[in-house]
Order: sequence, then C-alpha cells, then structure tokens
Amino acid sequence: MARAISARRKALNTAIAWTIGAMIFFPILWTFLTSFKTEAQAIADPPIFFLFDWTTENYTTVQERSNYFRHFWNSVVISIGSTIIGLAIAIPAAWSMAFVPSKHTRNILMWMLSTKMLPPVGVLVPIYLLFRDLKLLDTQFGLIIVLTLINLPIIVWMLYTYFKEIPGEVLEAARMDGATLRSEVLYILLPMAVPGIASTMLLNIILAWNEAFWTLNLTAAKAAPLTAFIASYSSPEGLFYAKLSAASTMAIAPILIMGWFSQKQLVRGLTFGAVK
Amino acid sequence: MKKTLRAMLGATALIASTTTAAFADTTLTIATVNNGDMIRMQGLTEDFTKKNPGIELEWVTLEENVLRTRVTQDVATKGGQFDVMTIGTYEVPIWGKQGWLVSMNDLPDSYDVDDLLPAIRGGLTVDGELYAAPFYGESSMVMYRKDLMEKAGMEMPDAPSWHFIRRAAAKMTDKDEGIYGVCLRGKAGWGENMAFLTATANSFGARWFDEDWNAQFDSPEWKEALTFYIDMMTAYGPPGASSNGFNENLALFQQGKCGMWIDATVAASFVTNPKDSTVADKVGFALAPDNGLGKRGNWLWAWSLAIPAGTDDEDAAKKFIAWATSKDYLALVAENEGWANVPPGTRTSLYENAEYAKVPFAKMTLDSINEADPTAPTVDPVPYTGVQFVAIPEFQGIATAVGQQFSAALAGQTSVDDALANAQKLTEREMKRAGYMK
Amino acid sequence: MATKASRSAARVMIAPSVLLLLGWMLIPLALTLYFSVLRYNLLMPGANPFVGVENYTYFLTDPAFTDAIINTLLLVGGVLTITVLGGIALAILLDQPMWGQGIVRILVIAPFFVMPTVSALVWKNMFMNPVNGLFAYLAKAIGMQPFDFFAAAPLASIIGIVSWQWLPFATLILLTAMQSLDSEQLEAAEMDGAGPLARFRHIMLPHMARAITVVILIQTIFLLSIFAEILVTTNGGPGTASTNLTFLVYAESLLRFDVGTGSAGGVVAIILANIVAIFLMRMIGKNLDT
Repeated sequence: MARAISARRKALNTAIAWTIGAMIFFPILWTFLTSFKTEAQAIADPPIFFLFDWTTENYTTVQERSNYFRHFWNSVVISIGSTIIGLAIAIPAAWSMAFVPSKHTRNILMWMLSTKMLPPVGVLVPIYLLFRDLKLLDTQFGLIIVLTLINLPIIVWMLYTYFKEIPGEVLEAARMDGATLRSEVLYILLPMAVPGIASTMLLNIILAWNEAFWTLNLTAAKAAPLTAFIASYSSPEGLFYAKLSAASTMAIAPILIMGWFSQKQLVRGLTFGAVK
Repeated sequence: MKKTLRAMLGATALIASTTTAAFADTTLTIATVNNGDMIRMQGLTEDFTKKNPGIELEWVTLEENVLRTRVTQDVATKGGQFDVMTIGTYEVPIWGKQGWLVSMNDLPDSYDVDDLLPAIRGGLTVDGELYAAPFYGESSMVMYRKDLMEKAGMEMPDAPSWHFIRRAAAKMTDKDEGIYGVCLRGKAGWGENMAFLTATANSFGARWFDEDWNAQFDSPEWKEALTFYIDMMTAYGPPGASSNGFNENLALFQQGKCGMWIDATVAASFVTNPKDSTVADKVGFALAPDNGLGKRGNWLWAWSLAIPAGTDDEDAAKKFIAWATSKDYLALVAENEGWANVPPGTRTSLYENAEYAKVPFAKMTLDSINEADPTAPTVDPVPYTGVQFVAIPEFQGIATAVGQQFSAALAGQTSVDDALANAQKLTEREMKRAGYMK
Repeated sequence: MATKASRSAARVMIAPSVLLLLGWMLIPLALTLYFSVLRYNLLMPGANPFVGVENYTYFLTDPAFTDAIINTLLLVGGVLTITVLGGIALAILLDQPMWGQGIVRILVIAPFFVMPTVSALVWKNMFMNPVNGLFAYLAKAIGMQPFDFFAAAPLASIIGIVSWQWLPFATLILLTAMQSLDSEQLEAAEMDGAGPLARFRHIMLPHMARAITVVILIQTIFLLSIFAEILVTTNGGPGTASTNLTFLVYAESLLRFDVGTGSAGGVVAIILANIVAIFLMRMIGKNLDT
C-alpha cells in the first residue's frame, strides 16, 4: 500500500465502512440488548436503546425452563467430535487428491459435493428407521456420524484446494533427500498445511454447531444440542421478545465468540482455492 | 500419523461417552408443548419426584408444530424415544385405533376418572378404552375489552351473534391509536387458522364433507363464512393478520391492541394475569358467536398425556400421568400460583369448587366446553367427528394446504372465490387418492 | 511425479472418505428409491403395496410443484445476486485503507455464526413484525404505514434474511481475493489514466472471477436446501408464495407423513440438484482447474 491516500479519503472510507458494519451487526446487538430488558420494555414504543433497567431475569427464566448447560455440552461434543473424525478421514483423501491426482480426481470431488445437495427431509424417514435399529437415536455418537458425513465433502474440498497450493517441488526435494512417505507427511506437509487444517476445522465446527435439521429430528432429551433448545422458544406464550432474545443470545454467543477470536485463522484458509 | 489418529479417535470416544449420569432407576422422557401450563408443570416436577423416588423426569419441550412431527414420527416408526407424549384430541382417537397407545382404563380409583368432564373424556376414548388423560381442556370464546366496549357505547351479550361482533369491531377500531377491533387467527396451519375457520364455518352452516365424503368448499355457506371473516379482518383486524396465530394474537391482546379476540378459553388466564397483561382487569368474556343456525363457532380440544405402546416404563409413566392430571395437581398449582392459573377444563370437581368459581372466566369456560359437540359439529349431517377438525389421518395435510389458501386470501394475494376453488380442488385430489371418493 | 507406490497409497488414503460418502449416499438413496414406489403412509400402517410411479405422478402434478421450482430458483438466484454484488462492494470497501478495519471485519463477519433458526426468529419477530417490529416503528416514525413483510412479500423477505446470513461468507472470500491483488498493478493502471470503473472492470473483476465462482458454488449447495428459515417465518405461505422444493417435500413427509410421496419428492429434488450440479461443474470447468 504505497499509494498516498489523503486523510480525507481515509476518513470517508472509515465512515462508510463503519456505518455498513454497524448495520450488518445491528440485529445481533439488538437481540443482545433486548435480552436484558423486561418484556414490556422490549416492545416499548419508541424503542429504548440503552436507558432501560438492565435485568438478568430473562436468563434466569430461560435457565429454569431448560437445562442450558446440557444442550451446550451436547453442541460442543457433537461439533468437535464430528470435526475431529471428519478431519481424520478427509486429510488423507485430500492429500492424495492434491499430490497424486488422477483423471478421476475432479469427478470424485464434484460427486462428493453433489452428495451435499441431497435434501435432508427426503431421506429423514429411512435414516430414522436405520438409527432406530442401530440404537443410535438420541445419542451423541449418532449425531457425530451424521454431521461428519454431511460436512465431509466441504472438508475434503477445502483441504484439497489448500493442499494444492503447497508447491510439489518441496516434496520432491525431500524425497530426493530420502524422506519416507511418513516423514514426508509428518515433517513437511503437515507444518505447511496447518493453517489450512485449522481453518477447515473452524468452519466445520461452525457448520456443525448451526445444523438444525438432523440435530432436532434425531434427538429427544439426552443428546439434544442448542438447536433443540431454541426450538422450544420459537413461539412461546404471550410477550416473549425478551426471553427469546435471551435464549438466542445463549445459543449463539459461544460460537460467535469462538469465531471472533479465531477469525484470523478462519480467514486464512477460507479461500477454497479462490486465490491464485 | 497413526498414533495421532488413534489418540484423536480415543478422545472423541471419551467425550462421546460422557453422557449426563442419571442415578435414578427409571428415567421418563416426556415430550411436551411449550404452552404456559406445561411449562408450569415442568417447574413443579419436584413434587412428583419427591413422592416417587427412583423416577427421574427428562423434559423435551418443543414448539407445537415441531412437537407434532417429532412425536408422530416416533410413534409411527416405534422409535421409542419418548415414554410420555403430549397430544391432542385429534391424534388420540386415530392413534388409539392404530394400537399405538397404552390404554389408561386401569388408573387407580383415587384418580376418579368419572370426575373428568364427559365431553373431554369422550374425545379421548375409543371403543370404551381411555387412551390419554387430559391435562387441560379448552373450547373457544370471545374475550373483549370492557373499557373499549363501554367507550363504543355497546354492551356484550353473553351469547353474541357474528353481526354483533362485526358492529362492535367497527366501533372499537381506532387505528391511529393502534387499536384493532378484532384479532383472529390467520396463520396457516390445521391447528391455527383452520381450527378457527372450521369452527366458524360450522356456525355459518358450512361443513367439510357431505355424507359421501364430497368436499364442500364450493357451497354458498363456506363462501359466506370466508367472505365474512376476510371482510371483517381487512377492515378491523391488525396488520400482518395472515401470520398471526394463537401466540401472536395473545401478545397483541396483552398489549391492549385488540378490542376483541375469539380464541382458546385457556387464554383467559393469560390475559387476566397482571404480570404479563397490560389489560388484566379490563377483560370480559362471552360465548363464541353464532349465526342463528343453532351452532356456535366454538371448538373443543384437550391437550392430553398419553403413553406410546412399547415403552419400557409403562408403570412409571402411568404414575406420572396420574399425578399430572390429578385433583391434587390442581390443588398444588392453586397453592403455588393461585386458582386462576390451574389447568382448566378437565374435571367437574374443579368447577364445583367455590374458590374456583370466583375466577372470572370459570363459568364461561365450562359453558363453552359444554356447548361443543364433537359428534354432531355441524348444522347438516357429516360422516366425521371433531368440531374444528375432521378425525381422519389425512386431515392435517389437507387442512394445512387449505389453510395456506385461506391465509393467502387474507393477505390479499388471492380472491375468496379462487381460494375456495383451490381448496375444493386440492381436497378432492387428496380424498380421491386416499380412497374416500370414487 | 507420482510413482506407482504413491499411487496405490493415494488410493488407500482416499478410500475411507469415498466409501463413507458412498454409503451415506447409497443407503438412504436406495431406501428412498424403494419407498418412493410404495404406498407408505406412517399414519396408516399395514401392508405397503407396490404402486409403481403413482407417487411420482402425484408429486409432479401437485399444484404447488411448479411454484416450488420457481421459488427455489428465485430464492437461490436472489440470494446469490445480493450476496455476490454486496460481497464485491464490501470487499472493495474493506480493502481500502481505513481506521479500525479489524473491528469492521468482526462486525461484518458476525451473521455467519448465527444459527439459521435464531436469525429467522429474530428477524421475523423483532424486525419485520408489522406491529411490534423495529421496522414498523421506523415506518411509523416517518409517517408511513408499516410494511407487512411476510404477507406482502414473503419470498423477498426470506431472501433478505438468508442474504444477511450469507453476505459475510461472500465478503470474506472476496476480500481475501482482493487482498491478494497486486497493488502495483492498480497503481500502474491509475497512472495510465484508467478511471475507477475501468480499473474495476479490467483488473479487479477478472482477479476476483475465481473467488466469485467459489462463492456461487458453495452457496448454491447450501441454498438449494434452505428450510429452517421458511419453516420459522412463513410456513411456505401465504398460499404457496414461499414454498420451495425442500419445503414441499417436508410437507409431504412430515405434515402428511406420506413417506411414499415424500420419497418420490426427495428423488425429484435429488435429480434437480444434480442438474444444477452439472451446470455448476461446467461453469467451474471454465474458472477452476481442479
């Protein structure tokens, strides 16, 4: 950025960008603020922004009604579990596709992506019957399997595009020096691939955390994650904006905070080969 | 690599196996709807677990539509996820006939099954077997703002006609002040706008099917009923009425934005509760309106607790249901939250209770329930039972699609005639497929 | 470069994911195909007789079917248009020097982390509600009638909500692409007297082409099966105004519990999705050398 930019231009950019950023973020901020209002203040006319009596009463009510921490813990286990298993399966696949491409590679990749287009509602009953017979209904393990499978194509593809950017010459040089396949992977490939893997991992955790169809339909009480928690607030009785806001805040806060803290890592690999 | 992999898998397995430990002998999983009375029951769980050591309760509280798909899918596939299910008057006879539910005829004497209101009990009985115990029962009635009625210079009779309602709505509406004369359901769904519209159509002399299962949406009665509803809502209803269901209207009424609201009797305790309602001391009640044809536009429904066949813990489940629908439970709620918040509409003894009689809506609720007759819901004879529904399995699908049509007409996207023609066509299509019509 | 040994090693490594996905795809697919030729309604147990293509005819002749196809395309197309155009604009804006760029990026990225159900609930109730929503207050404040979003423009409202969720994703990928653009190239063009528009058309846009393709591909995959947002906000209505293909299949299999017709609908949806996939692959072929 060697170009000299006038301070005025920079100020203008800043003003526009901040305005747009604030607008995009506003719904989340508004939800957060509303969660600390009383129900009456939540629908006050005109709307109150900051000058209300902050109360945590909604959070207490929500917690009394449902066991937030159990849902939260299920969400954590399911999203992290499916991510770890997914990576363990996808890394070798993506590695071989990137470094030993064959004429089928592209087709396999596209086929994998096309499995993601299967509409879940269309196959719910078969899967439900299958899960019933395998005793996987309402288990964390069952959900881990499903989420691993539905996100696997994205993981493989993302890793593949990232691995492809790693120059093959480095590997060849290592091979010349007598490196085995094992050490090739362990000492050369992995360190170079870590940013891509980290980014894939983060994206997958986000996708798994927010998946709302399977997690709701295959669980009852024991394995139900936060998506099921929020399903009991989608139309409660009477005035409910404040309680809805509190429940929403509780459901999205963990993943939002994780996302913010790790956004640099997330962005680094989130190119899907888009950058040459 | 292999080692890392194995470690990773091990770690996952470890996390996966740490489920919440339950030390109880039996754990009941209860699927219920997120209505106020059920949430209150959830809060009182301790009373049950104290009396029944060794039984632990797990609650799955879901929004009505989600709950319905979850439990239907589970009971039909024998998934065995739930030990107790909250279902309604529509499901109980159909499921009971399929043999999906455990009979409750052997509830202990102390339960006093004869105390249940006959209309409600009848709706939950198939061939002499009681398949579910009612948790609360409801009909529908008019809830109105006494202050606004007075301001309009009118007086609500105990049994108003539709034309009175319309005149009153016109006088009460003051859109500049954000007051709408009448709030009615408009959100598509067989349990939402179609419950209201089917019951209303009954009072206009319309019916879903004639005695040979021919759809009747092309009848002049349906046209009159739907035209009346849409004209009145367009002129005096709140904006966005086509997406308002029970809960949305409840919120509007509690905020003081509705002059009248015709909906479930169970709402009476919410609109008169000063904690949530800004108009708590200004609400009056009247029977659902009629059109001079001998039928009123009120329905009959009971949210009930049932046990799916094949559960492992039938005895514990029965103990729970007997607790949740008992006289003692009513007393327990009264003690904790006051008589007005007791789940209404299930027991005769409740309405004989002098304390409960002081509750402003007690009498009107009972009268409304007694007014509804699921076995003869319409002016002309019909081959089905059910007031605001038709007790056949196909009904939910058909009525939801018909509800979409009527909701579109309310939103102004189609005309009344087109909506009725579409409803007629799609009902015929489904009924032909299901083999009712030749 | 590949030796025979590494080729077979590669095959071994690729096998687990291929086999798993194959299983994941084939088992449900086989069951779905099987159910789709049976009369199978969960609410009416008993024999499930073979009925041939009856379920397919029934699904395809559903009056809502054409609407559902059109709505699906409008939904995908609408969201893609908004997010790609908005993403390009935001990416270029965020690439400019400014104060607090990191914070702006945090603000812009946030909607991506929000669960679809939550975002639909929040938008529906707290913003678009014509009585209590924030938009209604704003309209009243400037003396206008509140707009009844889900009655008057249901599909457009849903497109708006979904676009809000996906705009961050498009922005991030396009921003990464913009940042990899050599600034000297832009400067040189500026020296040569190329105006901002020309620089955008001839330098930035070609540079972002690949990223745009990626955004379109990934989003299409997710957008074809949009469901939660519709269920929470409009339930597919009013009428069929916001029913997409996924929602229609849902109505068959979870409202009517007609597994046969629902499965037939599922098969139809899979076929259509694959047509889209082939179309996308063609497009990718031009822009992405995989």
